[in-house]
Order: sequence, then C-alpha cells, then structure tokens
Amino acid sequence: MPYFDHSATTPIHPIVLHKMNSISEAHFGNPSSIHSSGRKSKAIIESSRRIIADLIHAAPNEIIFTGSGTEANNAVLWSLIFEQNKHVITSSVEHPAILKVLDSIAPFGVTYTKLPVNKFGEVNPTELEKAIQKNTGLISIMMVNNEVGTINPINSLIQVSKSKNIPFHSDSVQALGKTPLSVNDLGADYLSFSGHKFYGPKGVGFLYKKNESKLNPIIIGGGQESQLRAGTENISGIVGLAEAVRLAVQNLDSRILHLEELEATFKSSLSNYCTNVIYNGHPKKHVPGVISASFLNKKSDILLAELDREGIEVSSGSACGSGSVKPSFVLEEMGLSESQNISTIRISFGRSNTMADVNTLVNALAKYTNV
Amino acid sequence: MLWLNTRMSDTIIIGMSGGVDSSVTAKILKDKGYKIECVFMKNWEGDEENCNAEEDYKDALSICDYLDIPLRSVNFSNEYWEKVFQYFIDEYAKGRTPNPDVLCNREVKFKAFLDYALDLGASKIATGHYAQIIETKDGFKLLKGQDQKKDQSYFLYLLGQEALSKSIFPLGNIEKITVRKLAEDSGLINYAKKDSTGVCFIGEQKFFKEFLKKYIPAKPGYIQTIKGKICGEHEGLTYYTMGQRKGLGIGGGHGNIEAPWFVADKDIENNILIVAQGHDNPSLFHQGLNADGIHWIKGSPPHSLENISAKIRYRQADQNCKIVELSFDKCKVEFKKPQFAITPGQSIVFYRGEECIGGAIINNRY
Repeated sequence: MPYFDHSATTPIHPIVLHKMNSISEAHFGNPSSIHSSGRKSKAIIESSRRIIADLIHAAPNEIIFTGSGTEANNAVLWSLIFEQNKHVITSSVEHPAILKVLDSIAPFGVTYTKLPVNKFGEVNPTELEKAIQKNTGLISIMMVNNEVGTINPINSLIQVSKSKNIPFHSDSVQALGKTPLSVNDLGADYLSFSGHKFYGPKGVGFLYKKNESKLNPIIIGGGQESQLRAGTENISGIVGLAEAVRLAVQNLDSRILHLEELEATFKSSLSNYCTNVIYNGHPKKHVPGVISASFLNKKSDILLAELDREGIEVSSGSACGSGSVKPSFVLEEMGLSESQNISTIRISFGRSNTMADVNTLVNALAKYTNV
Repeated sequence: MLWLNTRMSDTIIIGMSGGVDSSVTAKILKDKGYKIECVFMKNWEGDEENCNAEEDYKDALSICDYLDIPLRSVNFSNEYWEKVFQYFIDEYAKGRTPNPDVLCNREVKFKAFLDYALDLGASKIATGHYAQIIETKDGFKLLKGQDQKKDQSYFLYLLGQEALSKSIFPLGNIEKITVRKLAEDSGLINYAKKDSTGVCFIGEQKFFKEFLKKYIPAKPGYIQTIKGKICGEHEGLTYYTMGQRKGLGIGGGHGNIEAPWFVADKDIENNILIVAQGHDNPSLFHQGLNADGIHWIKGSPPHSLENISAKIRYRQADQNCKIVELSFDKCKVEFKKPQFAITPGQSIVFYRGEECIGGAIINNRY
C-alpha cells in the first residue's frame, strides 16, 4: 500500500521501535523516585536529552520534552500571558497549533499580527520589521510550511528579531530530517519538534529553549523537566524520540538525496501524462519530497477517494483539516484561486517509498486526472 | 426487492450519519455483497453545543471500521446554510413554522449528496429512511415505510423521479424494532443510540427559543383570547406555533374553566398572539387550507383529485381530503373532518393509499 503522506505522519522506524520496546520491557521506574529503578529511568531520559542536544548543537538543559509539537507551541505562546509585552507577530500560514492558540489566549491580553506570505508561501523579513510594535513580545514563524513545503528565509527573519531584541520562536516540526539544523547557527530562542514527523513515536515531542530565554510553565505539578513541564515522563517515547532524531540527523544526506530523487522522478514522469498540473510552493526553497500539486478541473476530494480505493494515500490541505473539504487557507493566503485550491493534493514522500511506488502513483494520477 | 435493478458491480454510496438506521443500512448492503462506501455529511458549521456532528462522526468512523467499509466525509454546510437554513430563518421571521427536513432532503441529501456520490463513482445512493421506492411502468413511486410508526415518506415528498431512480432505502420494509435488534445482534456499538429528535442543528426542543433568538430579534407583544381580551404577554410571535400548549404562561383568572390554553392564531400585523381555551375549541380547527410550492413525485398532478388523503404534520394519521382547486403551483384542499392547528409553513403531504404522491407548503387555512 503506497503511502505518500509523510508530512502528516511517518511510520515508526524499526530501530526506534526496537529501542522503545526494549526500554518498555526493562525499565518502569518513575524517574522522580530516588531508588535504583527510578534512578535508572532518570538516567535514560537524561541520556536521551544529551543525544538530542548534541545532534542539533544545543545544550542538554535546552531540551524540554513535551507530549507533542503542538504542546511545545502552546508552551511558548501561553508563557506570554505572564509577560508584559503581549503582542505576537506570526505568519498567516501557520498551523492551527499556532493560530488557534493565539485566538485562545486573546482573553489574557495577547494580540497578534499575521504577516502575509508571497505566492510561494514565504514571509518577507522587511514586512516583519515593519510589523514590530513597542509591545511585541514574541515572533513566531514556521520554518517549513506543512502544506507546500516552502522553507522560510528563517535566518533573515531571526536577524530582524535579534536587531530588535524580540524572542523568536519557530514551529519546526516539518523541518527536522529534511533540512540541516543547528540551533547555534540559527540563533532562535524557541523551536518546536514532533517525534512522529521523522519516524519517531507519536505522543512525544520537544521544545528547544535557549538557555537565557524565558519560559513560564503552563503544566504544573511534580516539577519534571526543570519545573517547566510537569508530568511523569514518557520514558520509552523519549528514548524513541532521541533515536529518531539520531537517525534523522545522521542519515540526513542520504534521506534528502532519496527524497530528491523520488520528487524529480515523479515530476518528470508525470509530465509525460499530465499537462494540467501546477506545482505550488517555492520551486527551489522547499524541503525535498513534499509536493503540492493542483490538477485543474479535478476536485481533490474526488481524486483522494479514487486514489484511496487503489490503496494510494495522499492528502489535501493539512491532515487535521480532513473531514471537511474546505479550501485550504494556506493556499488561499498564497493567492490561489478557489478552483485551483480545491483541486490541490499534497504528496509527501518518505524513506520507504520506492521508484516503483512513484510509478504506481503517476499511473493512477494519469488515469484519474486526465478526464 | 427494492434494489433489484442494482448490479453487484455497481458502487452504492451510503449516507452514514453514525446513527443506528444508516449503520444497519450499511450492514444489510454489505451482507448482500454489494460494493459499498459510506459518506458522512457535515451540514452545519459552528459551535452550537447541541450539534453532535463530531460525536456522530466518531460513531460513523467506528461503525465503518467495524464493518470494514471505507468512510469519506464531505462538508455541505454552505449548501445547507444557503438552501435550507436561510429559508428556515426567513419563515420563522414571518411568523410561520417551517419544516427544514423536507428541504434538507431535497437540497442536501438527494441533491448535493447524490451529485457528490455520483462524482465519486456511485450508481446509487442508499439512506436509512423508512420509506420504499418501487419502479413501475409509470415511473418511480414513493411508498410509506412498512413500519407505520416510523414512516418517513412525509419528509421525502419533495423528491423527484431523478432522485428516486438513484436511491435505495433498505430499511423501507423493516420495522424499527427489527433494525435495533439487527444492530445489536451484529455488534454495532450504536444499537441503543437515541434517535435524533427535533431540528438537527439545534437539538432538543428546549433549546429552540434560545437558538432562534440568536437569529431573529425578539419582538414581545400581547396575548389575546379569541374574544379580544388581553390575557398575557408573548416573547415574540416567532417562538410560538399553532396549537402550542406549553410555555404560554397564561395563569388562572382567565377563562372560566380549568382547561389549558392553545395558540389559535397569530396576528402578525399587530404582533398579537391569539389563544383559545380547551383542546376542542372550534377556533383551533379549520376545514381547509391553501398551499403553494406544490410538488408531484411523478412530475405531474394525479388524474383524479378525489379519494386522496393527506398529512398536515409528521406522524399524523392520513386525513381524507379533496383538492378542490389546483393550479401550476398552488392548491386548495378541503378536509372531510376539520383539522386541529393547521400550521402555515408546514407541509401538507398527499397520499393515495400507501403511495406518497406529493405535497405543498401550507400558506393559510379557512
């Protein structure tokens, strides 16, 4: 069953699964307990923290484990309700895990400005600079867009925030494993990550928080994660997460190469059959293997159903929006016409996809979109 | 059988609500070996706490997973809003009592959904309605459901030949009690799920007034008896319907007998609600009515306008009547027996025996 929806989630890597299972079988102690089993669990978590920190060039105490990328985003945004400067600048194409949170914390005095994007889905650093207000307390702009794969000019955006001394957060869940990432070089204050986007387990993610950057906790309890995120730790999940980060970073080049090959083959092969396809997102500055394709005059919900019947899994818009065939707001913000918008599917390749899978997909698209 | 002319290779798409009726519909067709898929329709956007769409979707998903049937979902909230809800609000604003379900069937379930299912490659749609369709040399006919208590033909009278030719109602010849039993015996988790009642986007009756208040400004006024005596105040004519007994707030001291009060009429011009005492009060009864927006299921009026019967509300027993005047889209109907609380905005649905032949929307009564 060819699966081409890796931006929604990825299958767990067998090595990750093996590690998690062996941890679950052997270690159950509460990391907060002072006896031997507790200490062992704690040691496992701290070692996972070090592994992740090393791989992204952070310090171990800059890694905070969370239950998801969404939770990492929430932690950064809710923290603002305790701060003086409550104005946030974000982009109009963020995931609901940013935009809906900002709406939810409005009653606490948090206001925000949504920056527009260009036709490729990029935020313009000059626009960011112009949007800064006296009370701007946070800039939150995604690294990679989940629907079209466009990579934002994140370095320039962070430069702007630094020049104005405003903390910078980036929802980076779509970046890890598809683009090189060093938090030192980047200089962001906060970055959100999610394990299941790069062959790790679901239900676990992490927040990178620069040491000197402030975070007011919102989940309070037993003081875990240096008082920043209470709750007994998901030991096997954290181990799996660390292993998935290790595999993603250490195999980055080969993964990128593989995805680029799949993408190139797909596009060239499809061009032999379909002339009515338009690709959205930035033609160059996008993560490999994520393709937003509009098949004019073919509504995406119908196409998705036809592909689904053949066991081919792709998505339209973002996965969380499934269940409703509304135009994607991301594509709308990028200026797509409604008719193009609702004719758009997202194909996101992954490490297990083969050239044969690409062939299957191209053949099916040729069959169903040339009507 | 009702679906004899459906080939096994044809795909049937089932409107799956997550309720027991559509679930059993899916189960029956699956067992017969048809190629089937289900579609969940989301017809209402918003955070009405009484709209259970999300819970219903979860049920639909679980049922389809259990029966191993693909489930897709589609959002018709725009269609519903424009074609059904606007009309619903406009009618209430005029002081009438509309029936959104008949329009929902015509515009959404047997139009938008049918078109969508055909686009998806279906040759027929199936729903869990308690009604029957038969094909005759005169075209497709709509018959009452075999379970007289559950018969839903009343809500389907606006369907035409095109819709009937592409629809199947597998529950049409089954009793509701059997449907529940089938659901339980097949291990469907929702076998005991409550039937939906009232208007789907509002939920139970008790939320009705609150809901309407959000869309139609309340315009309070006096309540008068049929003799013209003021006996109370109403919150806005919109919130009352003909024959309504509860919630009038007319205390003792009015009238001579300890009989309940009923809404007899609405004086829209003067914003007065007119009430009458006692269920048998003659001012609650009318001999005939005028209706418009007439629709005939076979596409043209019946040859004889006599010996027909009608329901002026869902679940009413058939009433003998005669269509005394008929034009292209209007009719005048006279009943054999005077009718209680004939309500403008509701539908009068015509039957000849078990066959539902059409209907119209009640405009006024005399």
